[in-house]
Amino acid sequence: MDESARKLKIAVISPTAVGFEGTGESVVVPAYDGLMGILYGHAPMMTLLGTGDVTVTDGSTVHRISVSGGFLQVVDNEVSVLAEQVGEPSSHGSGTEDAG
Amino acid sequence: MAKSRDIARRMQSVESTRKITRTMEMVATSKLRRARMRVRQARPFADRLTAVVENLITPELTDLDPLLRQPDRIRRAAVMLVTSNRGLCGAFNVNLIRKARELLAELQASDVETEFHVIGKKGISYFRFRNVSMAGTHTDIGDDPSPEDARALIDPLAERFIREDLDAVYVVHAEFRSVMSTPPITRRLLPVYVPQERPTREPYYILDPSADVILARLLPLHLVSSMYRALVENAASEQGARRTAMKSATDNADDFLTTLRRQFNRARQQQITSQLAEIIGGAEALKG
Repeated sequence: MDESARKLKIAVISPTAVGFEGTGESVVVPAYDGLMGILYGHAPMMTLLGTGDVTVTDGSTVHRISVSGGFLQVVDNEVSVLAEQVGEPSSHGSGTEDAG
Repeated sequence: MAKSRDIARRMQSVESTRKITRTMEMVATSKLRRARMRVRQARPFADRLTAVVENLITPELTDLDPLLRQPDRIRRAAVMLVTSNRGLCGAFNVNLIRKARELLAELQASDVETEFHVIGKKGISYFRFRNVSMAGTHTDIGDDPSPEDARALIDPLAERFIREDLDAVYVVHAEFRSVMSTPPITRRLLPVYVPQERPTREPYYILDPSADVILARLLPLHLVSSMYRALVENAASEQGARRTAMKSATDNADDFLTTLRRQFNRARQQQITSQLAEIIGGAEALKG
């Protein structure tokens, strides 16, 4: 398999906003009991989210999105972060927020 | 003489009505754009959350969590009807009210004690006029509902469901399929739907913490997200219905104006002809 295919599909969404949608090599998520890193080929899993920043790394670009509450699901290299709230990261980063 | 002036007055009045409906159409169009975005935003979240909750629920778990309670018989139910605060949106509210009345009649027929909550001035004034008693009325949900609004609506009902004071919660709202199609639908929020067949979960699915703990956290969120979705779909449908209604009103005014203008011109022409005839007649008489 070529390198570009070994990427995670990542979506960070809340009921009112899209925090991030795209691909990445790795993602670090604040789970309810601490940070959790996910790489390509992770087993299907589900866990609850705590409060903190989701960090998506794709090559040299790093996206950070602050999330709070909700859950995380990993299935077939698709990472879905469904947070109660998403927003700009607590420290500065390149998180995007939808105005809607 | 008097006739053409009458027609001119009517044309003026139709013209000013047309201006109003045209403006409302444009306002609704821009509000619709924003409302649609919110629906597009809320749907994937609600859908995935529903899928996850249904995937985690097993009949054994329903005894553990009071919010998952599956009553054998529904004795007391709450019906929540979502309507709009403002009118001039065609049959939008009428359709919703009819749907709610059907549901109420159905519940009453099967001997369920029903309490009725109405959101939106239009629904409230209809049922107040009909002397239907309402347990709760809300007019504070605007064009831009928030998840907090949804939480404020559903939390008290969920609490009473847990206390076994209520056995079911239904929501009647408009589903935003497209601008032209916004049918009223009924959704049962509680008791939570438990799929009959066992979920086909992948064998290596990691659940951390266990399914019941995850469910206990996600269920309240699921309720809020379902309610929020109902509110945003309804808000978008309202704007869609208003835009359609105002567009057809504007079109009607245009048609009417064309007819009136034709009548006016004919009346004016007639007037000129008769005046000419009088002048020529008078001149002829003087010659004589």
